[in-house]
Amino acid sequence: MLFNKRTERIFIWVFFPLALLLPLFLEQNTFYVSKLTSIMIFALFVMSLDYLVGRCGLITLGHAMFYGLGGYLFWMLAPEYTEVNFWVYTFYVCMIAAAIALVIGFLVLRTSGIYMIMITLAFAQMAFYFFSDSIEFGGNDGLFIYMKPETSIFGLSLFDLDNPIHFYYLCLLSLFNTLVFFKLLIRSRFGRVVDAIHQNPGRTTALGYNIFMFRLMSYVIASALGAYAGYLFTLQYGFVNPSMLAWTTSGSALVMSILGGMGSIYGAILGTFVYEGLHYGLEHMTEHWMLFMGILIIAMVMVFKNGIAGYLEKLLEKRS
Amino acid sequence: MTTSLFFVQLINGLQYGLLLFLIASGLTLVFGVMGILNLAHGSMFMVGAYLAWYFFEHTGSFGISALISAAIALLIGIAIERGLIRHLYRRNHLDQVLLTIGMIFVFNALQSLLWGNDPLGVPVPQALSGAVPLNDVLEYPVYRIFVALLCIAIAFVMYYMINKTRLGMLIRAGESNREMVECLGIDIRRLYTIVFAIGVMLAAVAGVASAPMSSIMPGMGEHVLITCFVVVVIGGMGSIKGAFVAALLVGLVDTFSSVLVPQISSMMIYILMAFILLIKPQGLFSS
Amino acid sequence: MFKTNTLRTAVAAGLATLTLSTPVLASDEPVKVGIMLPFSGVYAALGDATRNGLKMALQEKASELHGRKIEFIEIDTEARPERAPEIASSLLDRSKADFIIGPVHSGVAMGMLKVLRGKDTVMIVPNAGAGPVTGPLCAPNVFRTSFSSWQPSYPMGKVALDKGYKNVVTMSWNYGMGRESLDAFEESFTAGGGTIVKQMLVPFPQTEFQSYLSEIASLKPDAVFVFFAGGGAVKFVKDYDALGLKGKIPLLGSGFLTEGTIEAQGAAAEGVMTTLHYADTLDNDLNNRFRASYKEQFGKPSDLYAVQGYDTGLLIANALNQLKGDISDRDALINTMANTTINSPRGDFTFSKAHNPVQNIYLRTVENGENKVIEIASPMLEDPARGCKL
Repeated sequence: MLFNKRTERIFIWVFFPLALLLPLFLEQNTFYVSKLTSIMIFALFVMSLDYLVGRCGLITLGHAMFYGLGGYLFWMLAPEYTEVNFWVYTFYVCMIAAAIALVIGFLVLRTSGIYMIMITLAFAQMAFYFFSDSIEFGGNDGLFIYMKPETSIFGLSLFDLDNPIHFYYLCLLSLFNTLVFFKLLIRSRFGRVVDAIHQNPGRTTALGYNIFMFRLMSYVIASALGAYAGYLFTLQYGFVNPSMLAWTTSGSALVMSILGGMGSIYGAILGTFVYEGLHYGLEHMTEHWMLFMGILIIAMVMVFKNGIAGYLEKLLEKRS
Repeated sequence: MTTSLFFVQLINGLQYGLLLFLIASGLTLVFGVMGILNLAHGSMFMVGAYLAWYFFEHTGSFGISALISAAIALLIGIAIERGLIRHLYRRNHLDQVLLTIGMIFVFNALQSLLWGNDPLGVPVPQALSGAVPLNDVLEYPVYRIFVALLCIAIAFVMYYMINKTRLGMLIRAGESNREMVECLGIDIRRLYTIVFAIGVMLAAVAGVASAPMSSIMPGMGEHVLITCFVVVVIGGMGSIKGAFVAALLVGLVDTFSSVLVPQISSMMIYILMAFILLIKPQGLFSS
Repeated sequence: MFKTNTLRTAVAAGLATLTLSTPVLASDEPVKVGIMLPFSGVYAALGDATRNGLKMALQEKASELHGRKIEFIEIDTEARPERAPEIASSLLDRSKADFIIGPVHSGVAMGMLKVLRGKDTVMIVPNAGAGPVTGPLCAPNVFRTSFSSWQPSYPMGKVALDKGYKNVVTMSWNYGMGRESLDAFEESFTAGGGTIVKQMLVPFPQTEFQSYLSEIASLKPDAVFVFFAGGGAVKFVKDYDALGLKGKIPLLGSGFLTEGTIEAQGAAAEGVMTTLHYADTLDNDLNNRFRASYKEQFGKPSDLYAVQGYDTGLLIANALNQLKGDISDRDALINTMANTTINSPRGDFTFSKAHNPVQNIYLRTVENGENKVIEIASPMLEDPARGCKL
């Protein structure tokens, strides 16, 4: 069984059917559809971070670098006024992001703990200032994407990316696929070695595994998926901006991941929606939404020992 | 670059570095002894600056305002440690990070509520408001020299405290072996409260000291936080000596790079940090 | 004032219109004014002032609105450009705002443009000076009631030449508004034979100026021209003075250097010369009345951002008045707005084809804690709107 936890199955059976049907009720109001789409895109990003930090134990504060790269790479590769193919460019963007992750991972994974956090941050900051200070890449004000890609496979057009509802379903599909992908990865032999490395690196090395390579592969995979999320974000409004690479973006993702429940993967989706939901609700109620947001975050940390997923699991899992 | 310009930039870099040390010392102290990464450290810097402004407006004396602000910061530190941080010692590091991020939100919101969002300023105290002429155009403000000397003095006090007093001995012992210290009958909880309060107070004092020479505005905490981290990591987490050397290094690199390689000057401190970590992954003086 | 009730009012209004069996007259529905400004973070003070001015104008002109009520929908942008498209589309699609006012920050403006250009709403920029808004990205439904980055800085070139300065160092943050301001100064200064010794671009939003100021001292130019705003402006002017440059090398700036910052800058600001499309000390009836009533209503002195917000309100009120409250014909609305003359505290102004104000630029100097107007540096200056196809 792919989803072995009862809580996880409940979550999936509630979340995805709901998400599937929601646009039918929100036909009039494309704003909500777009808002949910942005949250889903960020949830995808947070999932990739959750895998890295929660499952592999590789804590990075530079993951947003790949989020931003997803956008900037598309801008760099795609011609300004021609429609390109979405799937082909997804491949290009993810492959190049993976190549960059390979190089950076090679340098970064030699450190651990707080040092890894800082050196990943360093690279992300360098990338941030690179794009922020350069006029060629739009500088601080960002760049526009004028032509959204078309999504045909073998001539059969599937989604019209300019249509918010189509884009919503594309992102929902991506979210589901990524969740399934990570679950498969975790259950695979690769995933089990990664778990072993997380629990006891020394013993795993003694068993003859090259833990560096496994970590590097995990880093590359997670980064490529983070870039895919950034690519989707850019395509939603056709706007790419250096703030995508900011350390505060990495920080927010980390907050959502911890809030949701580190390492549970589906918790990342929970955490993102709860955080964004609170943010949205509070900011429409009061100008001083930050105060309540901060208090709620502090309260949640104190109460939920393993994030929201952890709390739900405590309630719903059968004790064996 | 002429020799006189070089000399001036050298002074600039050292003075900036010393201020960085003052801010970063509290962060590294807290991490070294307690293992807590306090992301709200920058917020305390901001609180110090705002408190300095507020009490100056009400008392007219910068000196009195500084003392009151430092005292309040100490109390805030004690309150936070006992009220919040204490409950998370047994939890993993990331939960502590999340808590301190929540604190950043709260501090920023309180700043906006209590003191508003306009940029504020505090004039330099009369006694220190002169300037020392360096060349025919440039002068160096006495106040900046005073702050630099203050940072050096605090560095000495910290060195003395850590190496020559009983409290310092407990701090060093707590850094290397927490459980043993508890076994020896020392109340580690009180030690932690004191250390955290001192750490927070140092950040606030740095904020008070910078107030007359900078702009007191929203977001000033986050701005300083990340440079702080770079300093602490380059120096080695937990090492005050390391933080001192690293701060001077960062100050000099930042100053000279803005003059010599302005196109990449914003990236320089990160390039420096990446470079050092790749050679010495634990920082320069890891404990 | 309005915001916590906005949601409830909107829901109530919605329910009310559903239950009424008779067709609803246009004049029964409120005019929806969406506001996207920063209410938290570094630019919060500017967002506050703009909103205050906007609401004050609409209150003052309430009797001229032909019975239309105004409903405000306010969202905090936190001055984060990446939130711009989402917030703009919220105001457009969800709230169906007739007017969308914002932003302060130029990066946010770009994000807004992406979503709002050519759509069924009127976007009015009450601050962001980014050139493209009334340049390559201009659009019929986009107006600006503030300035273009070029406008305040261009006249200073001539001022510098008149004062006999031949070599000038320019400095600003490395972002759109900064670069555009320095380029505008350079354009007029070099056209008259001046030389820019060096252009220093500081990473945005860094405020460590020591090393740059030391370098300026060693270059010994005739004057220094800068663009900085807000907290950065406070620090720059203080540092310039503290390092001894003030008495020796004249400091010139785009007006933002001394807007809303003089109190924090203290004595360091005295004698700094700037050019801007407004000054608090402008001695005309409208300005004096505006300043007095703003102070009375909000308890603090008004500033440039309040004026810009106020003029935005005047623009909306004017349009409603002329169209007798019926703004359903967007083309007519845009036409009316484009041909309005705004009687502003800054002096009367009209709109260029690109919908940017054609306005006076004043030369000011800081004297006794305020910006005293010396003269009009450039009367009715129109931004060239390079790249705009309107």
